[in-house]
Amino acid sequence: MVFRKDDIIVNTISRILIPFIQLYALYVIMHGHYSPGGGFQGGVILGASLVLLLLTRGYDETRLKIPENSMKLFASAGVLIYAGVGLLCLFFLGNFLDYSKLAVLLHVDPAQARSLGILAVEIGVGFAVMAVMYSIFLDISTGGVLAEDEEEE
Amino acid sequence: MTTFLLGIGLILCFLVLLVLYRVVFGPGVFNRVAAISAIGTKTLIILLIMGFLYNRVEMFIDISMVYALLNFIGCIAAAKYLEMEK
Repeated sequence: MVFRKDDIIVNTISRILIPFIQLYALYVIMHGHYSPGGGFQGGVILGASLVLLLLTRGYDETRLKIPENSMKLFASAGVLIYAGVGLLCLFFLGNFLDYSKLAVLLHVDPAQARSLGILAVEIGVGFAVMAVMYSIFLDISTGGVLAEDEEEE
Repeated sequence: MTTFLLGIGLILCFLVLLVLYRVVFGPGVFNRVAAISAIGTKTLIILLIMGFLYNRVEMFIDISMVYALLNFIGCIAAAKYLEMEK
């Protein structure tokens, strides 16, 4: 279990740094098809920012801002976005994840539909990776016994 | 210029090997944490030099920023772990 320590240097640095880390993660996700990166890498950076928050603020304080149940929601929503875009392409008589068929839905030419489809899929992957990274870290650091589970019993 | 950068990169690679000795055999955990942190900063510079050699700096700057970030978070995590040991 990670506890909070009133260490002014670490607390201040992380408070200043976390928003920029998350902004950078969004840049990596959005710019994934021009530069290195993409959904997975951006998701890992987003997860790293949450892990940094947990490390510096402690488990009890972070749990109030980011409940564990919201992480389940994010992971499932990410998979839903990924599979949903893929199945939508099947619906428009294409292959699974054949984004060019989305052109009818989005009213753009097929090349741009491919770009937008990849972006949507990468956003889904980013959500799922962020949530899973954070919950893995949470499970390891608490030894698998979360406070919410104890409250339910 | 290319030869210069290549030489600096090779020297840094050699220095990483020297520091790796501290990581593997170093007495105590503190030596290991400090050595891993030093390897992280050296790798960052090696990545940037690679970017200059391949003429794609704008790509390698992204990678090296992520590397520096994860190095920082790893350092804090190791410090937290050592704090809990007591």
